[in-house]
Amino acid sequence: MKKITWNSLTTRNPALFAAILLVLVIVINAIVQPNLLAIDTLNGNMRVFLPLILLAVGQTFVMICGGIDISVGGIVSIVNTILATQVGLNGSIEQLWKFVLISLVAGLLAGAINGFFIAILRLQPIITTYATGFLYAGFALFLLPNPGGGIPRAAADAYRTTTPLGIPLAFYIIAVILLLWWFLRSTKYGRYLYAVGGNAQAAYQTAVPVTWVIFSTYVISGVMAAFAGIAITLLSGSGNAEIGNAMTLTAITAVVIGGTALSGGVGGVAGPIMGAVTMGLIQNIISFSNVNTWWETLVKASIIVVALAAPGVINLFGRRKS
Amino acid sequence: MNVSLSARNIVKRYGGVVALSDGNLDVQSGEVLALIGANGSGKSTLSKVINGVVVLDGGQLLLNDKPVQFSSPQAAKEMGISIVFQELSLIPLMTIADNIWLTREPTKGLGLVDRKIIEKKTLELLSLFEGTYETVLSPDTVVADLPPDEKQIVEILKAISFDPEVIILDEATASLDSRQVQRLFELVETWKKAGKAIIFVSHRMEEIFRIADKYTVLRNGFTVGSGEIKDVTENDLVKLMIDKESVLDFTRDTYDEETMNQKPVCLEVNDLKTEVLAGVSFKVREGELLGLGGLQGQGQRELLLALFGDIPFKGEVRFLDESVHFRHPRQAMKKGLALVPGDRNREGLLYIRSILENLLLPSWRKYGLPLKMKKSISDANQVAASLNLKMAGLQEPVSSLSGGNAQKVVIGKWLMRSPQLLLLDDPTKGVDVGTKGEFYTLLTKLCAEGKTILFYSSDDEELLGLCDRVLVLHDGKIRSELIGDDLNKESLVSASLGVTNGGES
Amino acid sequence: MKKFRISPPVAAIILAVVLFLLSGLLPNGYGSDVDVAISQATNIVRLAVFLGVIAAGQTLVIISGYEGIDLSAGSVVTLTAILTYVIVSGENAMVIPALLVAIAVGALVGFINGLGITFLKISPLVMTLGMSGVVTGAIIVINHGNVSGKIAPIMTRVIARPVAPNIPIPGAVVIWLLFGLFMWALLERTTFGKNLFAIGTNRVTAKLSGVNVTWTNIGAYALAGALTGFGGFLVVGNTGVVFIALGQPFLFPAIAAVAVGGTLLSGGKGSYWGTMAGAIVLTLITSLLTTMQMGESVRRMVLGATLLALISLYGRQKSFRQ
Repeated sequence: MKKITWNSLTTRNPALFAAILLVLVIVINAIVQPNLLAIDTLNGNMRVFLPLILLAVGQTFVMICGGIDISVGGIVSIVNTILATQVGLNGSIEQLWKFVLISLVAGLLAGAINGFFIAILRLQPIITTYATGFLYAGFALFLLPNPGGGIPRAAADAYRTTTPLGIPLAFYIIAVILLLWWFLRSTKYGRYLYAVGGNAQAAYQTAVPVTWVIFSTYVISGVMAAFAGIAITLLSGSGNAEIGNAMTLTAITAVVIGGTALSGGVGGVAGPIMGAVTMGLIQNIISFSNVNTWWETLVKASIIVVALAAPGVINLFGRRKS
Repeated sequence: MNVSLSARNIVKRYGGVVALSDGNLDVQSGEVLALIGANGSGKSTLSKVINGVVVLDGGQLLLNDKPVQFSSPQAAKEMGISIVFQELSLIPLMTIADNIWLTREPTKGLGLVDRKIIEKKTLELLSLFEGTYETVLSPDTVVADLPPDEKQIVEILKAISFDPEVIILDEATASLDSRQVQRLFELVETWKKAGKAIIFVSHRMEEIFRIADKYTVLRNGFTVGSGEIKDVTENDLVKLMIDKESVLDFTRDTYDEETMNQKPVCLEVNDLKTEVLAGVSFKVREGELLGLGGLQGQGQRELLLALFGDIPFKGEVRFLDESVHFRHPRQAMKKGLALVPGDRNREGLLYIRSILENLLLPSWRKYGLPLKMKKSISDANQVAASLNLKMAGLQEPVSSLSGGNAQKVVIGKWLMRSPQLLLLDDPTKGVDVGTKGEFYTLLTKLCAEGKTILFYSSDDEELLGLCDRVLVLHDGKIRSELIGDDLNKESLVSASLGVTNGGES
Repeated sequence: MKKFRISPPVAAIILAVVLFLLSGLLPNGYGSDVDVAISQATNIVRLAVFLGVIAAGQTLVIISGYEGIDLSAGSVVTLTAILTYVIVSGENAMVIPALLVAIAVGALVGFINGLGITFLKISPLVMTLGMSGVVTGAIIVINHGNVSGKIAPIMTRVIARPVAPNIPIPGAVVIWLLFGLFMWALLERTTFGKNLFAIGTNRVTAKLSGVNVTWTNIGAYALAGALTGFGGFLVVGNTGVVFIALGQPFLFPAIAAVAVGGTLLSGGKGSYWGTMAGAIVLTLITSLLTTMQMGESVRRMVLGATLLALISLYGRQKSFRQ
């Protein structure tokens, strides 16, 4: 009988830590904000969390394959500035749809650029996406040098109030993502993802098209970042070229506490979704527990670092004992 | 169904190192070809060429007498060529079934992988080795949880799962036990009958004579002989594998047990245990060259690493009459131990750094602050000269050196500290013949100076020719201690395979 | 046979000279006026000092390898600049204590980075990005919107003014040269430096050769933090004012400067002379864009593209097929 360790548990159930953390923050949040589970609060919360969830899901693909994409914040900003400058507050809904499509293409292209440099030219993912991220952020600033612009009010309202059958829109989107993920994981492509992340050399020897699998993950990440950009534009209703900057770290944190190792080969999308919700709720808790405004950033950042460190601390003590 | 595969004048270089200069082989349906050669002779490279994993630098592959070019492993696979890799090609965190069927998953509607068929087919494959497993294997077992022999079996099953025409077994038996080898050979017989061509890469003579029909011998990247197994003896093959001017006929002082027993004990190990080692005890005296033998991966490496403080262990170690328990190589190094690890590039060298920095890496601290560069350079030059290191200059990167000279750097960095006890993990692997001879002289000289050497080698000849005493490890234990007249080829080989009962410790 | 190759620091210097000469041809460049050209060149080197010092820490952690990077450097610059500003408060006597505090605080942040990266096995990117958030939080707490302080006259005298009235070399440049000498000695003439290259090249070899990999790595991050702290001290000495976004703009160019200087982004190889050359190149590019009246957005895009081009030249990884 093999000994059950934290390590073996989390290898088998990568999302375990995220689930524990999520329950914890829900309980704490419910204490400081008793109406947390009321449908309006839920809808209000989930529509704020959705952009991060989308971003984290895209990042998960890259990370399962053993890479990382820190250009996603830049892509979010590009999409936000495209929509805010091209559609405008007085634009028509048809125009909005048109530029939503263009935004998705932009995300796809940005992802393809990352994929080209990383999968085909074989550059290091961290530094490459750091460079392209800076480039994308610059392009967003080029499109919209000063915050402004916007999207039609009707669209923002629709995003805020759509609750089919009384259930917030975000839950439908999460359900679709989980369904697609379940489907994808059961296809050959799903196997390839884990094979490349688990041992790229062995996967290559087994005739897995490693280059294209890696390329595809960056494209997926780019498209998901575009969806995130659309969601955050619907949420804010206006344009700001710096909007995506802070989202990259939060998304990566969500994926890491969601149980996807940066070394690749493990993880799924359920963990990161829980991780993203956790990150959002932490923000909630801070706002509701009357933390001095000046201290908010410090408290939040410290919690993030502690959450990132927790699995490592548990492993460290596990090692000491044995 | 008839298939034939030939390799003609294959050349393959890795950077500046020539792995294969003139590789040739022929194999046909219903045949087992043994591809034989010493370590580093190019066997694995030739198999990788045939499988399309590496790009060849020259020569031609013929499949059914037609020239073929494999641009990727995929292409070779489509032509019906399959390989069991020596370094397994499995994804550790995936299940047995997922590993075996990777890239060939049967699908049902919408592109979904058909788990039921996979499970059924995997069970069929697993049943081929039924009864030889230690654990209960199910298709859903994660490969990382398996012991080495069962991983090897999964690798074999993966290679045969798509019914290939040509099967290459690259050292596939190295980690299998005798029952599993027996089962594999029964399977090979059925494949022969089914008209498949099999290439069996191995250096175990007994297995080669049991299973092979033909042989091809590689030496230093050249095919030096081939023919029918029934026409040759074991000795003939060994002669082909070893260079004419064998390095092993150099003489060493005869071993005098009595004089040796009067010398003080340098290292005493009592019941040393690690994850791999199951309790090892022995003594070495000063000036002794103690050999460690046995098949690869029987715990020799772990023993050396544990003594050097790199991996944790339980048990008692006394070094020069002092009880020690090193927890970091640094502590071992300070007490006068040195380790030459088995994988030169990955464990012994800073590949992109200069020869100077490689030689001085353990010793910088001795050169003060700021570092006395002139003194360090002259010390390094001295060691380089004493080792007859062939280099363009101390500032050149180690990557510019040949295998033998690079290994001299690994040994040289320890000689700079004049250690009392040297732990050597297969130091002559992939080293050219001339340099090997120099090493033997060096080791003998060091022992004469009173240094103690613990020497593991995968080359039996080397142990026989060089050591005073050989401990043979099997399955994490010392199986036999060979000394004096017992130290001969037969006893060494039989002890390695674990069939002896003499000298149990 | 030896191939003739220009070492990256030399290539960077040549690039800088060529760029500078070309900049004279711009409509509003220095044209044929030699005096103006010299004063412009001096000014660029003076500006490069701050980037160069901040990039020193980055050089160390990138040499330490295994995806080493310090994304907390930007916020550490801001924090230590603010601390210096507050502690000095216009008193010459407080300059040395402030310098020591700046270095110590930087070292502390770096030390925490190092602990997280080595003992808790958090990837350098995530750890330092997380710490960047914590430090930013700390800045907000200390700053409370505005700080009162002042730099001391002696700082302006030493850092911003020429060495002597008749020698037009700014004090900062002299400090930088001494600093460069210190960095060279640290990397090439100490056991720590040699061990740092060793752990960046191959940690298994390093450990089996008696190098304490963990503490050398922690040392690299702590030292990097300390050097960045010194950078913050210099920056405030030059600008004389502090604000929350003071340090962040230095981060990306600092990493790019290390890459331009030929330090291997995968670790184990590099020099501070290269980074100094890289800092000059990047400062030059920035000032060229300013001369050409290009905005922040174009500057970012050009910097991003520069880094991308450089890693495409230097940073290719091994292909699967050999």
